[in-house]
This record gives sequence, structure tokens and C-alpha cells, in this order.
Amino acid sequence: MNKSVLTNIPLLILLILVQVLVCNNIMLFNVAMAFVFIYVIIRLPMFLSTNWLLTWGFAGGLIVDMFANTPGVNALACTLLAMMKRNMLFAYIPRDDRTKDISPSLSTLGFAVYGKYLFSMSMVYCILVFSIEYFNFANIKEIAIMSAASSILTFLILLGVDSLVSKK
Amino acid sequence: MRNILNFIIRYSKWFLFTFYVLVSCMLLVDNNVYQQSVYLTSANSVAGGVYNAWSQVTSYFHLKSINESLQTTNADLQNQVLNLKSELAEMQTLLGDSAMPASMRDRFGYVSASVINNNTHHPRNYFTINRGRLDGIRPGMGVVDQNGVVGIVNVTGDHLSRVISLLNETQRFSVKLRNTGFIGSLAWKGGDAAIAYVEEMPRHAVWQIGDTIVTSGYSTTFPEGIPVGTVINRVHGQDDSFFTFKVKLSSDFKALSSVRVINDIYKTEIDSLANYDIKTSEI
Repeated sequence: MNKSVLTNIPLLILLILVQVLVCNNIMLFNVAMAFVFIYVIIRLPMFLSTNWLLTWGFAGGLIVDMFANTPGVNALACTLLAMMKRNMLFAYIPRDDRTKDISPSLSTLGFAVYGKYLFSMSMVYCILVFSIEYFNFANIKEIAIMSAASSILTFLILLGVDSLVSKK
Repeated sequence: MRNILNFIIRYSKWFLFTFYVLVSCMLLVDNNVYQQSVYLTSANSVAGGVYNAWSQVTSYFHLKSINESLQTTNADLQNQVLNLKSELAEMQTLLGDSAMPASMRDRFGYVSASVINNNTHHPRNYFTINRGRLDGIRPGMGVVDQNGVVGIVNVTGDHLSRVISLLNETQRFSVKLRNTGFIGSLAWKGGDAAIAYVEEMPRHAVWQIGDTIVTSGYSTTFPEGIPVGTVINRVHGQDDSFFTFKVKLSSDFKALSSVRVINDIYKTEIDSLANYDIKTSEI
């Protein structure tokens, strides 16, 4: 874990604050919720060891859970997302780029690759979170609608977050 | 030995992954671990501090509607006070001062508090208030706002408490029809924050649309007669031997701001008399 990874800590804290103070209180049309703090998991460099990645994910999820009174929901979803991150990324980036240690963002990957990667991550996370929280097949229709709407909203907001963060 | 170490290092990510997943699942499934630890809830000092600071800003947002409902309640209360005063004066001239035992007069005390964090779209919602153990708040106390019942205190920190919202699928409330006195059990089923259901209402209950639902007073959590909502219509419930009513809740849970925590001075006495294992899921 080098210095460039540690610079993500303020970003994580900021995004968690935005998540718990703003995004957790807004449910658009009663179906769509944005999860902004997962951006940190999405952004962490490609060759950060899986152990660190899991720890970042778990810690971030646990803090959000603590604020939102949803014990274990985000922690579990984030851990699973962190585990999937590298495979997800490798599924989209061209073979030549796989040896470079890049922080995934719009400027480093280009829209075609980054868009697909970001949307897949958002969708997986939303599906995980709502399935874990509602954990009941009787609610499968609601879970599907909420996951779909939330992943679109999360995707759009994270594109915005990415353009803000990458400007520096 | 070296082989074992190599094995652990080689598969460390899977060990760590399993560990994190197990911890998450434990929090997810075993509610007791979570509820007993104030550090993992929004009633801890970090989350509380952040929410406190934030609510200094956002508490202004709903002031107009809250003010309106306070004025209505105030007018109603003033009317009641006047009526009761005249009734009391009448009774006192008839019976003298000794008729009412002194100990029954102030059974319930109120502690006012502000809501600093609130949720309505989870299946199990909680909110946080800025009063805690040092202010006399204990788990199991009822919480009301100016319009009616809003929840039950669940975890207390020194200066903050987490309250189980009425909008929580795991929590039930003992209620009755104000006019006819038939008892039922109030439960929220997720979705709309203004709608809940009263179940287990006997089939011979006399009712009509618009009837007020109030607390039954059969527990030490809420005094009798605190409004909960009004009947919208009768729906088909899970059990056909009882009526199920759809109820419009009287409190606006999206705009919770000032609440009062109810302290029953007889609580320990009544609880120890009633039984030694009262379940929190049916208060």
C-alpha cells in the first residue's frame, strides 16, 4: 500500500459523509437511491492487494452501516463488491492495459471501458444491498425495481463524482 | 510448519474475505450482538456528533408545518384543559379533595428531545434523538411527537439514544379503537411511510371509516389514549378470524423534529408484577 492509495482516505471520509447525510435521506420516486461511497472501491488502483481492497470495502461499509442503523448490510455488500472488483475490471479492459497499475477513472480508461465497468459495479452493488436488506423472495419484484433504478442513479452520480475527483 | 504458513499467506485473501463475510453476517443475523453494543449504532458519539451538527442546519426545513400542527394541538389541549378544569371544580364540590389518590396524579413524566437523524425507507427504520442515559432515558420508553406515537427507545448512549421507529417491521404496538375500545395490534408493513395496519381486531368489533386508533394503555410504554392514526378501510389480512384495518398514521414521519420520551414511574413495578420475560417485540 503506497502513498497514492492513502490519499484516498480523505475521499472515503468525504464520500461517507455525503452518503449518510444526504444520499441516505433521498429516495427518488420511492425506488432510486444513490450509493456514492462505493466510488472509493471502484477507484482504488488496479494492483492494490486484494487484502487491502477487502479491508477498505469492509471498513467503509461498516461505517455507513453504523450511521444508517443497517447492521451488516453495507459491510457485506462492500466486501463482496471488493472481492469482485478485479475480475470485473479485467473483463472490460484490453489485454495490453492489464499490466499497468492504473486507478480506474474516465480519463485513464476512456468512456467505453470505464462506463461499462462503472455500471456493472453499481448494478452489482445495488442488487447485493437490496437483496441483503430485504432478504425475502416475496419482495423480489421490489428488489428488482429498486436495484434497477438505483443502479442507474448511482451510475450517473458516480460519473459526476469521477469528473470532480479526476480534475485535480 | 512452513508449509502451513505458506498456505495461509498464499490464500490470505480468501481467509480475510471469509472473516469479513462472517462478521457481516453475524451483525446481519444476530440482532442481539448489535443492539447491545451502542458503538455500532447511530447512538455512538461519532455518528451522534456528526448528526447533531448536521441537524443544526436541517432542523429549520420543516418548521412551518411543525408550527402549524403544534398550534392545532395547542388549541385542542387548551380546550381540554378548560373542560377538565370545569369538570374538576364540579367534582371537587361534590366529593371533596380526598377522592383521588395522590400517587395516580403524575404517573407519566415527559422528557423533550430533538430528532437528529431519521430514516423512513428501510424495512427496519430507526431514528436518533439527542437525549441519553444521563437525561434519564432508558430502553423501552415510548416516544411521541405532537401528533401521536412515533416509536420506542431501543439503545441508549450517554447523550444520545436510538429509537425503533413505528415504521419498523419487527415492532408491534398494542392499540384500540377510541370509540368502542376493541383491542388490536398495530404493525407497519414497509413501503408508504403514512400507512400501517391494525391486525387481530376481533370480528365483532364495531367500527367505521375515520375512527381514531389510540394506544391501549396495556403496556407501561405508552399511556392510554395517545393517537396513532385513523381507519381508512378494512382489508383482507392473513387470518380470517380477525379483522385487519388499513390505518393512516397521524404523525408525519418524514418531518419528525421535536419528540417527547415518556417515563412511566411505575414501569419497573408493573413489569416485575406482570412477568419476568416481557418480549420487546410486543409492546
